[in-house]
Amino acid sequence: MSKISRRDLLQYIGAGGVGAVGGVLYGESVQRNVELLIPQVVPPDDYSPGVASWYNTVCNQCSAGCGISVRIREGKAKKIEGNPVHPVSQGRTCARGQAGLNALYNPDRIRTPLQNAGQRGSGSFEEISWGDALATVGSRLGRLKIENNASRVRLLTGRVRGRLDELFAQFMGLLGSDHYQQYDFTYPSALMAANKTSYGTDVLPYYDIKNATFVLSFGADYLGTWISPVHHSLAYGHLRHGQEGRRGKTVQIEPRMSLTGASADEWIPARPGTEGLLALGIAHALVSDGRYQGSDRDEWSTALAAFSPARVSAETEVSDDKISQLAREFGASAASLAIAGGAAAAGTNAVASVVAVNALNHIAGNLGKPGGVIFNSEQAFSSAAASRPAGHQGVLDLTEAMEAGDVEVLLVHDANPVYALPENVRFQQALQNVPLIVALSSFPDETTEMADLILPTNTYLESWGDDVPDPGVGFPVASISQPVVAPLYDTLSAGDIVLSLARQIGGELPIRMRWGTMEEFIRDRWREEYNKRESAGEAQEFEAFWQASLEAGVWGQPGADSGGNSVPSTSSTIASIANPVSMFAGGESDYPLVLHPYLTATFLDGRGANLPWLQELPDPMTSVVYGSWAELNPATAAEMGIKDGDVLEISSPTGTVRVPALTFPAIRPDVVAMPIGQGHKGYGRYAGDRGANPIHVVANQIDTQSGELAWAATRVKIKRTGEKLQIIKTDGVTRTLGRQILAPKNDHG
Amino acid sequence: MFDHGQPSYAEVNKDVLATMLETGPKYWILLGTTMGVAGICFFMPWFYQLIVGVGAAGMNRNAVWGTYLSNFIFWIGLSHSGTLLSAVLHITNSPWRKAIYRSAEAMTLFSLMTAALFVMVHVGRVWFVHWSFPIPNQMGLWPNFRSPLMFDVMAITTYLTASSIFIYMGSVPDFAAVRDASTGLRRRLYTIFSFGWRGTAREWHTLGWAYTFFAVFVVPLAVSVHSIVSWDFALSIVPGLHHTIFAPYFVCGAIYSGTAGIVTVMYCLRKFLHFEKYIGQVHLDSLGKLLIALSLIWSYINILELFSSWYGGTSFELEALKFRLIGFYAPLYWEMILFCAFVPLLMLSKKIRWSWNKMLVISILINIGMLTERFIIVATSQPRKFLPDAFGFYFPSWIEISITIGSFAIFATLFLIFIKWVPSISIYEVKETLKPLRRDA
Amino acid sequence: MSTFVEKLRSYRKPGYYDEFDYHWTMTIDLDRCTGCEACVVACQAENNLPIVGEERFAQSREIKWIRIERYWEGEYPNVKMGFIPMLCQQCDDAPCETACPVYATYHNQDGLNTQIYNRCIGTRTCAVYCPYEVRYFNWFTYTWDEPLEQQLNPDVSVREKGVMEKCTFCIQRIRIAKDNAKDDDERRVRDGEVVPACVQSCPTEAMVFGNSKDPGSKVSKMMKNPRGYKVLEELNTSPSIVYLTKAHS
Repeated sequence: MSKISRRDLLQYIGAGGVGAVGGVLYGESVQRNVELLIPQVVPPDDYSPGVASWYNTVCNQCSAGCGISVRIREGKAKKIEGNPVHPVSQGRTCARGQAGLNALYNPDRIRTPLQNAGQRGSGSFEEISWGDALATVGSRLGRLKIENNASRVRLLTGRVRGRLDELFAQFMGLLGSDHYQQYDFTYPSALMAANKTSYGTDVLPYYDIKNATFVLSFGADYLGTWISPVHHSLAYGHLRHGQEGRRGKTVQIEPRMSLTGASADEWIPARPGTEGLLALGIAHALVSDGRYQGSDRDEWSTALAAFSPARVSAETEVSDDKISQLAREFGASAASLAIAGGAAAAGTNAVASVVAVNALNHIAGNLGKPGGVIFNSEQAFSSAAASRPAGHQGVLDLTEAMEAGDVEVLLVHDANPVYALPENVRFQQALQNVPLIVALSSFPDETTEMADLILPTNTYLESWGDDVPDPGVGFPVASISQPVVAPLYDTLSAGDIVLSLARQIGGELPIRMRWGTMEEFIRDRWREEYNKRESAGEAQEFEAFWQASLEAGVWGQPGADSGGNSVPSTSSTIASIANPVSMFAGGESDYPLVLHPYLTATFLDGRGANLPWLQELPDPMTSVVYGSWAELNPATAAEMGIKDGDVLEISSPTGTVRVPALTFPAIRPDVVAMPIGQGHKGYGRYAGDRGANPIHVVANQIDTQSGELAWAATRVKIKRTGEKLQIIKTDGVTRTLGRQILAPKNDHG
Repeated sequence: MFDHGQPSYAEVNKDVLATMLETGPKYWILLGTTMGVAGICFFMPWFYQLIVGVGAAGMNRNAVWGTYLSNFIFWIGLSHSGTLLSAVLHITNSPWRKAIYRSAEAMTLFSLMTAALFVMVHVGRVWFVHWSFPIPNQMGLWPNFRSPLMFDVMAITTYLTASSIFIYMGSVPDFAAVRDASTGLRRRLYTIFSFGWRGTAREWHTLGWAYTFFAVFVVPLAVSVHSIVSWDFALSIVPGLHHTIFAPYFVCGAIYSGTAGIVTVMYCLRKFLHFEKYIGQVHLDSLGKLLIALSLIWSYINILELFSSWYGGTSFELEALKFRLIGFYAPLYWEMILFCAFVPLLMLSKKIRWSWNKMLVISILINIGMLTERFIIVATSQPRKFLPDAFGFYFPSWIEISITIGSFAIFATLFLIFIKWVPSISIYEVKETLKPLRRDA
Repeated sequence: MSTFVEKLRSYRKPGYYDEFDYHWTMTIDLDRCTGCEACVVACQAENNLPIVGEERFAQSREIKWIRIERYWEGEYPNVKMGFIPMLCQQCDDAPCETACPVYATYHNQDGLNTQIYNRCIGTRTCAVYCPYEVRYFNWFTYTWDEPLEQQLNPDVSVREKGVMEKCTFCIQRIRIAKDNAKDDDERRVRDGEVVPACVQSCPTEAMVFGNSKDPGSKVSKMMKNPRGYKVLEELNTSPSIVYLTKAHS
């Protein structure tokens, strides 16, 4: 072996050094970007690393208007909890509310404005800049305005309340179109219409479940999906064990046991569509027992004479004894309360049914007293509360106008009518006649897929806004919605888009809508409101008020005059209850089963289906995840030879869906129930293409009195296709097998 | 003792050493095949599982233990007879042991190793498996000595160590014989292996004493190992596992399957290494009788287990019992009963007991039955625990099935390597059984 | 040596845990629980539970530290549903704790069964031994679709494949509350100062959480309710969760 000279050694060291440096450089270059735990060298001034801060805002996962607090760490939203000082949520949240973070951080969010780049509905879009997008829409709208053709512009939104609603209305008004329409499948429109008949005003009264001792619910899933589930749940907890030595009772009347039915002491599967009749039967028993002593007693006994227990029992399939027991308990309870909703308020007799339930409340003397039906006083921030009934009739009119070619520009905000309307409304087909469809949305869905232009909106956690809960809580309340994180993407809030469009259109619009941003607008309106209330409003004081409200997320005046009163109108009530039985689409011989579509606590009308936490949340009643199913009574299934997982073809007179069967012990044998929410076609990766949408096969029947969609008035037939599909459930065996699980041993014996 | 006439001492040496020194192509093909199967069926799926997680197997939240664990018990069980039988027979001075004990002990060693591999495959983070040993560390963290798994680690490592020493010690004179018969590298190697054995009286005396000591030492150890393995299950409160009978049940089952395994191995040795002279009917007959006895004990314990479950009368035990007897895995259960309780009764007939082919079939059936037993213990108890809501179902994935098949290949590979390195029949002890007729050895 | 023996003996003393400050306890009123599952999502958000996907659900490999079990009683039309939230019962005599060979699960001084993810080697014995089946195994390393990972709670570690996990009673919240109390003149944690995510979210206030060593705490009062019982009490695991059975009007 030759000796290494000093020169060689140096050479080797040099070569080795170059190699090492090169290796390190190469290694560095192929490494992923270094992600720092705390990405700033200079600490940001709006947060301290490692310290969580909470921002209050308003939940927008349903229309309840719960106040929420969002936990922020390092500028990112980590957790949603109820805002403890907010009177609606009182620090609590529901599953949907918690899952709001999935909406904010949803991987499928639309990140830039998009323009259709192919056949409409093909789903191929290309990115464009905000400037181009706004100019396209603005110039089109401006031209129509100049041509005096602004009525050819339509705005369809989901449920919108507060200042955004005002802004939309103002925008459309200034544009010269009075076609601003809201559509929300979950909105209790029939209830509003019925209240107009019963009480003369179309408001939602406050149902004081908290102080009630006997709650009789006709189809209203008040713990899961109806109006304000979190608030009702708080009230329910109080009803059960809020007071020493008293436990309120709840009875649920519905053809398929809902979440509320599962918690009720009694579940009564009355024949679908006869809930109103049952209410009248109970009312009849109350009046004939002499429990009602009002001045209009005779009128009522005449009107109710037709609803004898014998007839009601025969038609509702609820026994005489049960009816009289309910009447006895309802009449004798310290504070009884009857409410109607869900399928009971979605027949062709919807208004009649709800009016009948209202009548029951009236006869039992439940109006305007604790534990009964309480009418809110004039709302705080009255203009903010001015909301439009989200009506089905309006959508039908819109569809008609589109078919007739009367719509040139359709603006859709936060609504998915393509998904949430029966197929035979032919909304999607009518869209083809609209030259320009502009969708304002955070997520791609079936409706944005049809759009020519998508303007991506901020989620509610990145937007300014305000809200007045409806129904109120007994005293004036308003909440502020503020962005809790900076917008993640190149998106704008709906309010800012409208303001930008106003500037684009020009003319009087930017003068009348002078606010630069939605934030300015909200502040301005709150200042107005503040000045109205505090006559000597000085800027300094408003600033303090604004800061305090912003911090609390809510402003209210507890103890301020509550209890507006409402006098029930006997004559109109009696006039509208004459025919309280729902008519069904489809003959009984051809279509032997009643289709009972129901809202689920997870997806509501399908809007929650793109949130992974909700997809992975076992259905409360069946434990099914990721998919939809059709529930059948075990007896019905056995009779037809159907087993769990058999794919059924469910046909109504207007359409067909295919969905696997699931036996469910708490459903009438003549009913097939399907959850609403799945069956999406373009709602992101988590909604996927799974399950089926029962709304599509619902016949487009309307309630005779209000014109609302009667989505629970369709008959269907079912057929086994021979296919099998695995229903993914988390449940094993759903019987306790006598084990000490739900109660201590000695209770079970 | 010998069916075909007694061999001479030289013949013994020649016959046995021939298996080591003369290697035909068949051996290499066989070894290549088993190694290939082990690699493809065991190691490749295992590496895949290491990358993606144990989720590659079929286990789920209702049954977090699966075939890996049942195979672990199976292999531990199979290990039982070798050393235990050898030790017991040594103590009781049964001469028929001497021709078979070496390979029986090797079986112990290799099935223990295979079992240990299954522990590795089973755990979620095998790269930290050393934490289950009481290795001193800077954090002062010790294993949990209350854990039956900890007992397991202790018992199995002790058993493995003791078995290794036991088999090695018994092989020392034979290593010397190999040394003497070989040249070159092999000679140097075996010089080391044989610890310089010269065959002096003092050496023989020490060996005899130490060997007997170890034999006595190993017997309770072997009994304890499978008792402790059974406690993995019995110390849980899971219905169907929480039985006091489990320790004797497992020990009995282990010896049972191990003895059947010895029959299978003996058949192979006879067939492929031509040990007809040394492994004869007497061995087969004795093992057959032992198997009948064990099968009767095993059946008795099974009946007891069913009885105590039924007599306990709790919803938990009854539900687990129902699932086992008439549930999805009922066919497997009844297959096990057939193979382990009824088939062995055939051996009551001497004709069957004396037939190598029939005994081979029976021994394999018994081990299939025992493999099933272990699977049933794991697969039918966990999915029927206490909360009906959490009742579930377990079915092995193809990865588990493949690894199970691969484990047999690993065992075979180890055995094939063994027969080339260690005389698979104890030369000196076989010689002890020869009547001293000729002195030409 | 003698001190070491002394120390060992002290562990065996009955009531060893009584010498510690807190015993975190929960009561769940089944008469209030409506099965709405707000708690399930709250837990998922707080504790970085993975989104496992449809396929994993089909394989029963979901991870839900708290789940709602549902039990039917009777047949149509007299059919009733009973919901029961099932989460780690934080047993005082926990079967899981004796199972772990490496002490990855142990009983801490607040009466909690804690799981040390870093120490876990994944034998899964604890899950077999647990009669409540509330231990969940990471069969895979789960990932979050970007940007969902931005939601992850920095106070809770994200687990990797091969590790067992379970309800901790939101121990990160307990620690923060204790730290705050310590900073605040070394006082004790007040009743109601710390609530796990599930309890916090519960819209019917069915769940109450607190220190059962404090006789004045709300949870101590709830525990005295005659409706109180423990699930599978006959197994003698001494759970820290007291359920209140359904009442009848």
